Amino acid sequence: MSEEKKSTAPTVDMKKLRQERNESITGAREKMKVQNKVIKALKEALSKEAKTIPELADIMGMQTDAVLMYVSTLKRYGIIGEGPKDGDYFKYELTE
Amino acid sequence: MKVKRDLQFDAIVIGGGIAGLQSALDLGDQGYKVAVVDKDATIGGKMIRLSKVFPTLDCASCITTPKMSSAAHHENITLFTYCTLGALDREKPDQVVAQLRQEPRYVDPEKCIGCRKCEYGCPVYVEDDEQGGFNMRKAIYIPFSNAIPQLPVLDVENCSLCGKCAKVCPTDAIRYDMEPEDFTITAKTAVLATGFELSPMEQKPQYGLAKLQNVVSSMQMERLLAPHGPYNRVLRPSDGKEPDSIAYVQCAGSRDESLGIPYCSRVCCMYAIKQAMLLSGALPLADITIYYMDIRAFGKGYEQFYQNAKAMGIEFVKAKVAKITQGDNQTARLRYEDQEGNGGVMEREHDLVILSLGMVPQWDPAGICSVNCGQDGFIQSILPKIAPTVTNIDGVYTAGVAAGPKDIVDTITEAGAAAMEAANYIKGLT
Amino acid sequence: MSETKKDESGEEARVGVYICHCGGNISDHVDVEKVAEAVKDIPGVVVSHTDMFMCSDPGQELIQEDINKGNINRVVVASCAPSLHETTFRGAISRANMNPYLYEHANIREQDSWVHHGDPATAKAITLVAAAISKARGLKPLEPIRVDAASHTTVIGGGIAGLRAAVDLARNGIKVALVEKSPFLGGNASQLDRVFPTGEKVADLIEYLTSAVAKDPNITVYTCAELTGFEGYIGNFKVTIKRKAPEDEATQLMLKQVKGAAPGSFHPFVGFYPGDVPAADEEETLTTGVIVFATGFELYEPRQGEFGYGENREVITLRQFIRAMADAPATTETLTIDGRPVRRIAMIHCVGSRQIPGIHEADENDYMNEYCSRTCCTATLQAALEVRDNYPGTQILDYYRDIRTYGHNQEEYYSRASEKNVLFFRYEPEDSPVITKTTGEYPLKVTVVDKLTFNEEVEAGVDLVVLATGMKAKNIDSLVEMMKLPVGADKFLQEVHPKLRPVEMANGGILLAGTCQAPMDINESCNAAQAAAAKAAALLGKGFVELDPFVALVDPDRCEGNGDCIAECPENAISMTPDNKAEVNPALCTGCGMCVAVCSVNGIDVQGWGLKEYENMVDAIVKF
Repeated sequence: MSEEKKSTAPTVDMKKLRQERNESITGAREKMKVQNKVIKALKEALSKEAKTIPELADIMGMQTDAVLMYVSTLKRYGIIGEGPKDGDYFKYELTE
Repeated sequence: MKVKRDLQFDAIVIGGGIAGLQSALDLGDQGYKVAVVDKDATIGGKMIRLSKVFPTLDCASCITTPKMSSAAHHENITLFTYCTLGALDREKPDQVVAQLRQEPRYVDPEKCIGCRKCEYGCPVYVEDDEQGGFNMRKAIYIPFSNAIPQLPVLDVENCSLCGKCAKVCPTDAIRYDMEPEDFTITAKTAVLATGFELSPMEQKPQYGLAKLQNVVSSMQMERLLAPHGPYNRVLRPSDGKEPDSIAYVQCAGSRDESLGIPYCSRVCCMYAIKQAMLLSGALPLADITIYYMDIRAFGKGYEQFYQNAKAMGIEFVKAKVAKITQGDNQTARLRYEDQEGNGGVMEREHDLVILSLGMVPQWDPAGICSVNCGQDGFIQSILPKIAPTVTNIDGVYTAGVAAGPKDIVDTITEAGAAAMEAANYIKGLT
Repeated sequence: MSETKKDESGEEARVGVYICHCGGNISDHVDVEKVAEAVKDIPGVVVSHTDMFMCSDPGQELIQEDINKGNINRVVVASCAPSLHETTFRGAISRANMNPYLYEHANIREQDSWVHHGDPATAKAITLVAAAISKARGLKPLEPIRVDAASHTTVIGGGIAGLRAAVDLARNGIKVALVEKSPFLGGNASQLDRVFPTGEKVADLIEYLTSAVAKDPNITVYTCAELTGFEGYIGNFKVTIKRKAPEDEATQLMLKQVKGAAPGSFHPFVGFYPGDVPAADEEETLTTGVIVFATGFELYEPRQGEFGYGENREVITLRQFIRAMADAPATTETLTIDGRPVRRIAMIHCVGSRQIPGIHEADENDYMNEYCSRTCCTATLQAALEVRDNYPGTQILDYYRDIRTYGHNQEEYYSRASEKNVLFFRYEPEDSPVITKTTGEYPLKVTVVDKLTFNEEVEAGVDLVVLATGMKAKNIDSLVEMMKLPVGADKFLQEVHPKLRPVEMANGGILLAGTCQAPMDINESCNAAQAAAAKAAALLGKGFVELDPFVALVDPDRCEGNGDCIAECPENAISMTPDNKAEVNPALCTGCGMCVAVCSVNGIDVQGWGLKEYENMVDAIVKF
C-alpha cells in the first residue's frame, strides 16, 4: 500500500543521515535484536496457556523484573492481555 | 514548519505546567496575547502525570486536561512545546526578550494528524520515563494519551532509521532530517513557572541509592495508581506480585540537612496519605504503613482527610527510617527508630516501599536569566509577604513551585496572583 | 455569532452520545461499554462512543469530528458533575461551529459511580443517559445573554487581603469601593508585631498597602461601614454601604488610643487609621460589577477552663503574648511580663484547631474546628525563638501534636528552636496537657503524657502558659444570608472548586480573597487576593459579561397577565408590560422555575429546561 502512496515529503539524503547517526543506529539495532528474541520467547511461552511472571521467568531463564517489563509493554500495545489471578500473581495471555 | 524569527506577545510564560497554564489563562482572559513555552513535548507539567489529587480525590486529568485544552484553544494563547530556553531578560521597560530553540520532533506538526500509526509501526522499544520506567514505549511516540499537542516525538538516540514510521504515516509527516530552529519571543512581561523535580532517589545511601528492588519513588507510585499506568493496577515491580504490605517513608528527600534540602516540601504528607487511601481502595487486604516525623495536613480540608485515612485503618508510625536494605523474598527491609510505643530500633519488611521524595527546582537560571534564587535554588521574591510573585527583574514574575514547594491549590492561586502583577505591569506601561 | 452556527432547529435531531470512563472513576463501577451499547438504539441516537477522558483534547475532538462530518446535531456527554465540565464541552461544540446549547450533560460520576456499585450503577447510568438523550432531542439553539458590566468592584474587608485586592484592581484601572467595618485598616495583621519568615514589621507591610490605597484615585475607602443592601447580578450589582459612628466598647477604646493622632498613620496593635470617623449615619448605593469578599477570620477564644484559660491569669493566648512581649522591657536576662519575671513558659499548640469528635468538646452549636489553622505552629516557634534570643533566662516548653512549619524558610524556626534548647513534648489529643494551680515554686503545673519519651508522664512547673489559638470563620451571617453565599462544613466561605475555580463562589461575580475562605498566612492571603483581582479584571475587562440563557421566557400568546409569576418570583425579575403581559429581565432571572409552577395557563417556561423537556426526560426514565 505504501508504494501507491504518493510521497509529498521532501527527499532526504538517508545515506548521509545514516552515516551521521551511525552510533545511535547501531545501538538501536542491537537493542532491537535482543528485544525481538525476548518477545519471540515470550510469545512462545504463552502460546499454549496463560502464565504468571515467575512462571515465565522460569521458562525463559530471565529475571522476573525484566519479564514484567516486557509483559507490561506488550500489554500496552495490545499483544498480551491480563488473565485470571493465581495466588498472589496474575496470569498473562496472548490476545491474538 | 516555517522559520519563526521574532515573535511579539504581551506576555511570555515559561513552563506549561498547571502554574504556567493558569497564569496564561488569567492573562489571556484579560485580553493579553500570551506565549506559553514548555521544554516538554506536551503541556500539563507534573500535574497531568499524577493519578488523583488531594483532598478531593478528583482524577488529576479531570482537572488538568480542561485547563490544558482551554489554553490550547484560547484565542489569545499560543503554545510552544519542545522548546528550550537559551536566554531571558529584560532589555527595555517594555521588552523582555527570550531566546528559544525549537527542538526537532522529526515530525511535521502541520501534517501530523496524531493517529499514532508511526508509534505502532516502530520496532524499537525504549524504557518509558513517563511510566516510571516500568514499561517501554516506542522510539517514536506520543508522550501519553492526553498530551497536548497530540504530536509524536522521534527519540533519535534510539532510532534505527529503519524507515517504518515514514512508511506507515498516512500524511508523510515524518522528517528524519529535521534541525533545531532558533527564534526569539519579545514580550512586555514574563512569568517564570518552571516547576520542580523530585529530589533524586539516588542521593541517599541509607535508602539504597535507587538500587533496591521494590523501593520506588512517589512519582513512580503515581504512575502505578494512574488509570493509564504501566500495569493498569498496583503490582510489585520486581515480579508482578500484588503487594500485601506497603510502606511510605516520609521526608525521604526533605527536612534533611545532609541532602542540602533542609526545607519541608509541603506536599509529601498529603500525597502519601492520598496514595495510601487509593491503595486501600485498590488492595483492600493490604497493610499500609506511613513512617513519618510530623504529619503536615495544613490546607483546607487536609486535616479531615488525614483523620479519614486513620479511620480507614492506615497505620501511622512516628519514626525516622534509618536504613533500607533488601529483605527476604524480594521485600524491602526497613530499619527505624520507633519514636512512640516502646521505642528502640525496629525492623519490618514490606512488599513495596515508597520514598516520599521532596521537591527541588527544575530550572537553574544561571547563565540564562538574571532572576535571583535563594540558597535552596528556588526563585526568590523581593516582597515575599506582600507580593510573593515579584522578582528582582522588573515586570518578571514567578509562580508555583518555581518559587518554592507548594501544593496544587496554592500553586493555582499563586499563578493567578502572578497574572495580576503581569497584567498591571503592562497597564503601567501605557 | 449566530450566523456562524448551524441552525439545527429545523432538522431532525441526530444525537451523539459520549460516555466517559473518567480514568476509572466511572468505569470502575459503571460498565460504560454496556451503557454505550444500551443507548445506541434509542431513537435519534446516531453515535455512541466511550473514552478514557472525554474532557481531554482527543476526547473533545471525538465530538468535534462527528459534528464536522455532519453526523450529529445534538450532543450528550455522560461524565462528572456539570459544574466541572459542562462549559468544557459547550466550548468544544462551539469551536466546531455548532450552537453550544444543543448539549445535554448526564452526571454519572457524583450521582452514580461514586455512590452506587456494580449492576445498579450501570442501570442508573443507562437511565440517566437515556433521559439526557430524550431531553437533547428537543433542545433548541440559544444565545447567551449579554449584559453590560460596570468597571467597579466592591471589596469587603480592609485587612491585608482586602487592601491587596483593592490596590491591584485599582492599578488595573478598575474603580474600587473598599468597605471596612472598623475605623481601621490592616485587620487581624495589625495585632502582630513581626511576621515570619522575613522578620519584617507588620506595620511596614500594612503601610506599604495603605499608602498605595491612599495614592490611588480609583479607590474609595469606607471605614466604619457595612454592606446593608444587595441586589442585581454579575456586572451590575447594587450595593448599599452604610457608615455609622462606632458604638461598641472595644472600638471606642481603640479610637481613644489614636485620639489626636494624625490621620493616615499606623498604630501598633490597633491598625492603620485613615481618620474620618462618621459622626452620624451615612448611606450610599453603588453600582458595582464584582464583589470581593475579604472579611477575614476570627481568633478562636478558648472555653472557660480550657487549658486553665479564664481561670488563671497566667494562661494567655499567643496573640496576648505577642502583645505583652512588645511591651516587655527589652533584653534582660529573664522576660518580665506585668512586672513578674517569667522563668518558664509552656506553649501549647492546636488550641481550637484539629479538634476531633469524641475527644474535644463541641461548642454550644455542637460544632468543632476540625481543621488545621496553618499559621500557629510557625507563629508559636517564632515567639519561642524571640524569647530564647532575647531572654536566655526564660525557658520554653513546647507541647505539640505535629510541628507544621511547612512554608518557605519556616523549617528553620523548628531547627533553631531545638538548637536554642526549646524543649518539645508531643501529645496525643486524647492525652492533652493538663494545667493545674500549684502552691510551689511556680504558680502553674503542666502535666502531659509525652510521646517522645515513650509515654512517660512529665510534670513541669511554669510561670506562664501560652495557647496557640487557631483561626475560626468570622461570623458574617447577615452577609451570607443577604447574598445567599455558600458556606462549607468548616463555616468558611466555600469556593466552587479548590483547583478549577479557587477564588470564585458559586454566585456569579462574587469572589474570595484570604482567610474568609480558609486559614492562610499573610503571603497566602496576598496571593489569593491577587488571584481574585485577576479574576475580577477578566470578568470586567470586556465591559460586558455573558450569562447562560437558561432563563424564563413569556409566551405572549398564552400569557393572560394575571401576575401570579410576578408575585412568586424570588428575584423580582418579572414585571408587567403596558399591554398587560408578563416580561422577564433575563439578567436577574436565575431560571429557578417558580414562575412556571404557578402559571395556570402555561404562559411561561424556562429556556433549555422547559416543561416539555422534563416530560421527555421522565418518559425516558420510566422506560429505562
